[in-house]
Amino acid sequence: MASPGPQRRTELLRGVLDLCLLAVMDEGPAYGYEMTKRLRERGLAIVGEGSIYPLLGRLERDGLVETYRAASNGGPPRKYYRPSRAGRVALAMGVAEWRAARDAVDSVLAPVKIEVAS
Amino acid sequence: MSDFVEECRREWRRLGVPDPLAEEMAADLASDLGEAEAEGVSVEEFLGSSVLDPRSFAATWAAERGVIPEPPGRGSDRRTPFALVAFTAVAVTAVIVAALLLATGEPKLSLVRSSTTPAGTTRSVVHSVSAASPIEWILLFVAIIALGFAAWLWSSWSRSRPPTAPA
Repeated sequence: MASPGPQRRTELLRGVLDLCLLAVMDEGPAYGYEMTKRLRERGLAIVGEGSIYPLLGRLERDGLVETYRAASNGGPPRKYYRPSRAGRVALAMGVAEWRAARDAVDSVLAPVKIEVAS
Repeated sequence: MSDFVEECRREWRRLGVPDPLAEEMAADLASDLGEAEAEGVSVEEFLGSSVLDPRSFAATWAAERGVIPEPPGRGSDRRTPFALVAFTAVAVTAVIVAALLLATGEPKLSLVRSSTTPAGTTRSVVHSVSAASPIEWILLFVAIIALGFAAWLWSSWSRSRPPTAPA
């Protein structure tokens, strides 16, 4: 039943990674690698299978992001992403759903006293 | 790193991704991988297990972006089953036919007996099936049952469809 830690973490993250990407690009337009850096700074390393690229592709296809090309700091022109109007609506709705789910799970797991021995 | 990008490029070409799009995706990927490498982040760390299967990675990216059809097994699950459409069409047609048969009052089917007499051939109507005959009512009843069954099948099918897959 139990999956190893990194695998569970990947599975948990998978359902909200689109929200995380929309959130970090809402802080300021970003290109692909820049987004992963912003996530990593907050402790969210993209682990396991897949990466952000298919997800960014889907967000673009669904009209949830706008893109443009611009020169990065001393590097080649990069494709920058930022949430579209629809993307910001999706982000707001997704965050509300996430908070409701998180609170519900917390209410079940919070009383658990078992801890992993170090 | 460049091998990985080249593998992706080949896969996009094989899948029929338009060249400008493939070039754009390859350039973005190469730039990001280059920057990651310069910062000491390994390709494996950046791309996860995707690095082991560049073709699958490239195909998934292109499909999610909508530049090629979705891989089999994802899109096909959402496709409307042909048999269900056909069954529904037959049921609807049967209901309409039965209703029309009942709506018209004229006899429509007759059993005719022909016999030859010295004066010539005579034909006599033995039995006529009219609008009031039970056969139309039975047809209508069966057609309505079939239509209801089709509605239930549609309902089951729509419930069993997989939700939009998360990343």
